Amino acid sequence: MASMNDVVQSLKPAGGFEFDLCARNNMLKQMGLKAPKATSTGTTIVGLVYKDGVVLGADTRATGDTTVEDKNCEKIHYIAPNVYCCGAGTAADTENTTALISSQLELHRLATGRHSRVVTALTLLKRMLFRYQGHVSAALVLGGVDLNGPHLYTIYPHGSTDELPYVTMGSGSLAAMGVFEAGWKENMSEDEAVDLVAAAIRAGIFNDLGSGSNVDVTIIRGVDDVEVRRGYQILNPRPYARVRPNDLTRGTTTILSETRTPIHAGHVEYTNEDAVDMETSPVESGGPSSS
Amino acid sequence: MSIMTYNGAAIIAMKGKDCVAIASDTRLGIQAMTVATDFQKVFKIHDYLYLGMAGLATDVQTLDALFQFKHNMFALRENRNMSPSAFLAMVSSTLYSKRFGPYFVEPVVAGLTVKPDGSVEPYVGGTDLIGCISSPDGFAVSGTMSEALYGPCESMYKPDLEPEDLFETISQCMLAGVDRDAVSGWGVVVHIITKDEVITRHLKNRMD
Amino acid sequence: MADLSFLHATKASAALPAQEMEEASFALPAVADPAAYQSQLYDPASATPLHMAHGTTTLAFVFKHGVVVAVDSRATQGQYIGSQTVKKVIEINPYLLGTMAGGAADCMFWERELGRQCRLYELRNKERISVRAASKILGNIVYNYKGMGLSMGTMVTGCDASGFSLFYVDSDGTRLEGQRFSVGSGSTFAYGVLDSGFRWDMEPEEAYDLARRAIYHATHRDAYSGGQVNLYHVREEGWVKISADNVFDLHYGYAAEAAAEADAEAAA
Repeated sequence: MASMNDVVQSLKPAGGFEFDLCARNNMLKQMGLKAPKATSTGTTIVGLVYKDGVVLGADTRATGDTTVEDKNCEKIHYIAPNVYCCGAGTAADTENTTALISSQLELHRLATGRHSRVVTALTLLKRMLFRYQGHVSAALVLGGVDLNGPHLYTIYPHGSTDELPYVTMGSGSLAAMGVFEAGWKENMSEDEAVDLVAAAIRAGIFNDLGSGSNVDVTIIRGVDDVEVRRGYQILNPRPYARVRPNDLTRGTTTILSETRTPIHAGHVEYTNEDAVDMETSPVESGGPSSS
Repeated sequence: MSIMTYNGAAIIAMKGKDCVAIASDTRLGIQAMTVATDFQKVFKIHDYLYLGMAGLATDVQTLDALFQFKHNMFALRENRNMSPSAFLAMVSSTLYSKRFGPYFVEPVVAGLTVKPDGSVEPYVGGTDLIGCISSPDGFAVSGTMSEALYGPCESMYKPDLEPEDLFETISQCMLAGVDRDAVSGWGVVVHIITKDEVITRHLKNRMD
Repeated sequence: MADLSFLHATKASAALPAQEMEEASFALPAVADPAAYQSQLYDPASATPLHMAHGTTTLAFVFKHGVVVAVDSRATQGQYIGSQTVKKVIEINPYLLGTMAGGAADCMFWERELGRQCRLYELRNKERISVRAASKILGNIVYNYKGMGLSMGTMVTGCDASGFSLFYVDSDGTRLEGQRFSVGSGSTFAYGVLDSGFRWDMEPEEAYDLARRAIYHATHRDAYSGGQVNLYHVREEGWVKISADNVFDLHYGYAAEAAAEADAEAAA
């Protein structure tokens, strides 16, 4: 008989993906039921190397099929204190891939006592994406500054990479690249660089249906010298005031039944109310010891 | 037909002033046929946290059991409850671990975060079926006709409503939404979570 | 003064302009095999299938006092409820009713065309057309378009010299005479109520209640039926619209009735 401990062990994540539902899901597919689409960021993301560092830019629209699911999502992800990464593609993939590599780099910094290099982030990301042969659909713009100076890379979902002085990605990449090709020059000042990045993102927001809402900008000058300008330009505010219907007064909705459950603050309640309290010794105030 | 519409569902979560609300319909269907009108889609995780799941009913029940288990294990180990955002992160990583063979659910959470000074901060959020978190400002919706839920929410919602006004708003949004969806409705249940109590109400609505 | 001499012509076609005699018809697509071409458009497996509004509950039954016809009023486009107030009983003429299931446009158009032809028949023959003949006209029309994507499941009912009769006609070309039919996605649910509650010698009020309950129960179980219950009674002197009840009111009315009955039983 399986002990409680076995059950707990079996539910601990082994790391990596699980494929146990694939057979069932294929069966559902064969029944003619279509699999739904995940949230994607039909996106405009860009990066630009300027005189003293790197500027990253992104729009803030997240879509599910044809619906705008989030009007102000964050697409510039933290990787390390000196490295950030813009993500396009399936939102869950960009979110989790960047978070995973960010955590690996943090462990690496703790182990080595050195700042992360942008190439290290690049290598970890491309290895991961190559291993999954494009099924993890993350298209990334990776930028940062390390001891070798500023670096800017693009990473494609299959794991190929580029290093360039100015890059664009996502469904709005053509519109954005048009702006870069017209306006980019070497050794730009920070203000010029931010202006050009914002213009490129605006081109995506206004010309690409998959991109929209606001411009986010992140400027990386060096380690711990990063400026995250979330909502740098709010381009699509609601042009009308939200008027709540006047007749939505209390009592509008007909209620069939009501239960009220008081809450006693500070009390931890387990959801299985039949459970017998476990005998425990008082928890030490210091929490788990660090020895 | 999509797997997500096989059983039918409609769920909304909304933030108010020091309170949150979460509402769901109660239909369980097999495609066009309604087989139950008292199906639970919103689950209590702890006093200040409720989880709603729309999608394939079998996965809704499997995941409810799994999340209850995970939360109970956390509570036993830590002698405290998960905050709504931490719980949603747990939901997200659980769903993402099945990235290539997913559970067909779109979860929504509504809860109150207890701050160090003892006051509460409302939180609503949700993920897609593979765990991409979104934590919007005002409301989160999920279900077979999210378009029909977004519309009323966008026009009727306003921030910082008192619990009773939040109840009217979320209820009217739900009723308007499910009346345009053939596969959800048949009863609506609303939970309003405040610092001191949880109010659960069943609404009178169309049964066709 | 209009020339009405054709009314007295011995042969119907004698004085009628050719154009008026033509049956309404569609321009067919200019391809080798129009039927095959059309059916591929509606094939769900094709790249861009055309979707038709469907999802309905309709019923009709013959009993001692005539024919009762009851229908729901919901129109859906996929999961989306397009309307809750569709008229699914088509009033062909004061003696004939048709019902609508399947493609709304197909039913509306062809039953109106049927009404036109029935009127011409009256003018030519100086007597009303039989339900049998009227339903056959409709059956023949849809049979001509078989395989081209028409979608209709209809009942034609009315009163003529032979009494009350009821026919089922669908776009496959099926035409059946019967005493009791239910058509649409909710028909199985309606049959359940109808068959268990039917008696030939019901009073009209009983029959109305049975038909209403049958449709109500179908709207409750079937996602694609709902709205209101429209009820008609075909009598010897022609049809009468009896009622139009919102399912919302019916549901809570029936629930209150059931609760009252339970209370009475508990008290007894």
